[in-house]
Amino acid sequence: MKGVKIGLEIHEQLDTKSKLFCTCPTDYRDAEPNKSICPVCTGQPGSKPFGLNEKALNAAIKIAIALNCKIVADKPVQMRRKHYIYPDLPSGYQRTSESIGVDGNLDSVQIHEVHIEEDPGRFFLREGFVDLNRSGTPLIEITTDPVFDSPQHAREWLEKLASILDYLNVTKKEEGTMRIDANISLNNGNKVEIKNINSFRNVEKALTFEITRQGDLLRRGQTVERETRHFDEKMILTSPSRKKETEEDYRHMPDPDIPPLTIKKYLVDKIRKTLPELPQAKTKRFVKQYKLSGQNAENIVSDPYAADVFEAVVKTIDPVLASNWFVGQLKKTLNYNNMKLRDSKMTEKQLSSLLKLTEKGKITERAAELVLREMVLRPAEPEKVIENLGISDFGDLNTIIKSVVDKNEKAAADYKTGKKEAFEFLVGQVMKITKGSADPEKIRKLLKKRL
Amino acid sequence: MKLSEKVQAYLDAINRSKLNAFVSINKNAENDAEKIQRKINSGKAGRLAGYVFSIKDNIAVSGMRLTCASKMLENYVSPYDATVVKRIIAEDGLIIGKTNMDEFACGASGETSYFGPTLNPHDEKRVPGGSSAGSAASVAAGLCDVSLGSDTGGSIRCPSSFCGVFGLKPTYGSVSRYGLVDMAMSLDQIGPITKNVSDAALVLSVINGSDKMDNTVVKRQEDYTKFTRKNIKGMKIGVVEEFFDGCDHNVEKAVRDGIEALKGKGAEIVNASVPKTSIAVPTYYLNMFAEFSSAMQKFDGLKYGFRKNGSDLNDTVAESRSALGEEVKRRILLGTYITMKEFRSKWYSTALKAREAIKHEMLAALKKCDLLTGPTMPFTAFKLGEKIKDPIEMYLSDMLTVSANLSGLPAASIPLNVKGLPVGMQLHANAGEEGKILAAAAAYERATK
Repeated sequence: MKGVKIGLEIHEQLDTKSKLFCTCPTDYRDAEPNKSICPVCTGQPGSKPFGLNEKALNAAIKIAIALNCKIVADKPVQMRRKHYIYPDLPSGYQRTSESIGVDGNLDSVQIHEVHIEEDPGRFFLREGFVDLNRSGTPLIEITTDPVFDSPQHAREWLEKLASILDYLNVTKKEEGTMRIDANISLNNGNKVEIKNINSFRNVEKALTFEITRQGDLLRRGQTVERETRHFDEKMILTSPSRKKETEEDYRHMPDPDIPPLTIKKYLVDKIRKTLPELPQAKTKRFVKQYKLSGQNAENIVSDPYAADVFEAVVKTIDPVLASNWFVGQLKKTLNYNNMKLRDSKMTEKQLSSLLKLTEKGKITERAAELVLREMVLRPAEPEKVIENLGISDFGDLNTIIKSVVDKNEKAAADYKTGKKEAFEFLVGQVMKITKGSADPEKIRKLLKKRL
Repeated sequence: MKLSEKVQAYLDAINRSKLNAFVSINKNAENDAEKIQRKINSGKAGRLAGYVFSIKDNIAVSGMRLTCASKMLENYVSPYDATVVKRIIAEDGLIIGKTNMDEFACGASGETSYFGPTLNPHDEKRVPGGSSAGSAASVAAGLCDVSLGSDTGGSIRCPSSFCGVFGLKPTYGSVSRYGLVDMAMSLDQIGPITKNVSDAALVLSVINGSDKMDNTVVKRQEDYTKFTRKNIKGMKIGVVEEFFDGCDHNVEKAVRDGIEALKGKGAEIVNASVPKTSIAVPTYYLNMFAEFSSAMQKFDGLKYGFRKNGSDLNDTVAESRSALGEEVKRRILLGTYITMKEFRSKWYSTALKAREAIKHEMLAALKKCDLLTGPTMPFTAFKLGEKIKDPIEMYLSDMLTVSANLSGLPAASIPLNVKGLPVGMQLHANAGEEGKILAAAAAYERATK
């Protein structure tokens, strides 16, 4: 879109066992409120941060490398205090590091910088209740330059970023841990920041709303105010936050409790070697090695687990057939159940066996899809599922057709004398036996052949 | 004497005392005494068995109030032990109570406490010095054996000087601050206040050394008790002339006599100079204000401490913080002001640079000698109310003590052998060289006995 400039700030929890500056566990979701806490992460008077959680730092370095950032190595990186007062922030300041990586790039989008910080606790405004279990959980913050020209572009890029984070396997997997701030300006006007958006789809919606709102203001000759806004998911609109936030001065200062840390060059090299094959490279390889379409390859690769299963399956199944299943029926079934492939207990072998049956024409595609729907939820060998579903006897459509024709000699004879209704009757009989799971076109074809 | 008898005697003395040195008394003191006594009897006691401690009320003792002598934390009970407290208890030291202090350690006289001023045991019309007022007073008045204080700009050494006891601020980063309520994180250090040098050496030996709960402490634990018997022959002691500028005549005389006594023990006395002493006070206050305003953010009335509900969140925080005393509020406001975007380069950044310059000079002076000396305070204990109305006058009393904190160096105040009000002589050493201070102080003790 012309004149639209969008920048993103992405926060995601790092997948470490303990918090950033104390040894409390980070799996607060399963814990009773205010149980995964200690004097440090509740800001008790006199408590001090323990040493920085190295696993969190290493995870951040890994992410920064994957985003093609320059790592700030061999010079001191300070932890800083960002001051503000809110019930979920027990110390009255948030600890946030200086940049770990700078000047990155992902898919032609410039990454401004990457750093780590502490997550605050959670404040439930209506209940007037604070849960500090989350307080001190390590976060990665990724900031892009304002280079997106449309809400859709921003969403698509976020999906790519999510896929990379998925591959790196150092961030939390649970839904809703990612929070995004989006800033947007029209025609080089004032920048508006929309804070704390919880999904990619909502990023797109919030930005779309903003474009309309700001566009309307400009058309009427008014100016867009520089401010912070919040996205209301239900109303699908943004509204201004407390006025103060825009004027807030966080009084950043180095945290005297934490000596500056120096990321050693050799550590960066060591971490670089542990990087997995990333989506872009894998997509290219899939296209070349398995002769997949670019679209199919990208689709499969976007989920690292699915990509691994795919590679196991194609050891025995034709890759193109398998890829069509992965992006087609399999994806559809998973989406329908609101699942990812890794959520299903179905094994690679079970999936391979099913595809083998379709590859050999042992069962129809329609039947295979029915079987797949069942297998995703209640995994078993496909033969077993076919039997359980009571569709075992149409395993070979020809056999069924033969038995239908044999049983209905009159109808068969009528058809041969030109009665169209007789043919439809026979198709219906086959359909009845296959419980509607057989492809009617295929039945017609095979039936005509037999008669 | 059995420990429980000693504890009982101290409890009685505290009860009778009018000094207002204590904020809380350990209700389990008698039980603790019996437990430790059993260990002593069976020969299994730690190295602090028999010692009765008072602890400044900005250091956390699990289950006891941690008030910082403020209305804000009047009813706050600490859920955990400070690392130094853990170590003292592990060596069978007994904690008898928590001592009065300037509110949140903001003061040099012991007068800003919400619980009222502490009095000087040598003259109850005079201040004991601050901010570890009750700690020094309790040791000087015989209400305990030893005390732990904290020192950000002289808070151990000033009251030690005014009360006539030995007080040591260790090297920054040698004693864990975990459990010490922050004043200025890059300056704060916990240290002992004692009647004699060997007690201080013993306490320091127990509390020093690395702690995973305080990142700034990296050195291994060291034993300092051996240094008190060390000969100081040939030790080079630099007399810093600037430290005597504007200092009272009787103080100067007492300190020069003290230096003579060290010379008599074989020390080599040389001249030294730290010209930037003249900018030490503003440099210290600006650095401290900035860090203090950050440290005090957590006292918002939302989680613990005093709370007064207002019309909205900001109002509630503001109302709750009205519980803080005048001096504390002044420092928060000034610290906030100098770290604001518009003013920080003029004030805070300049103060950071000045701090480096002072450190540079102190280290340069210490390259030429083992110790630097001069008075701890430019005057003896002043009268209650004498300076409290004039913050600038009060701030200037810190002129000789703040350079040690700004430079991260160890420094001690040694009680001099004088008639009348106590006078302290200050000794500074290079980082990690507390041993030299202890050796010289012990030598002085022997010379004047």
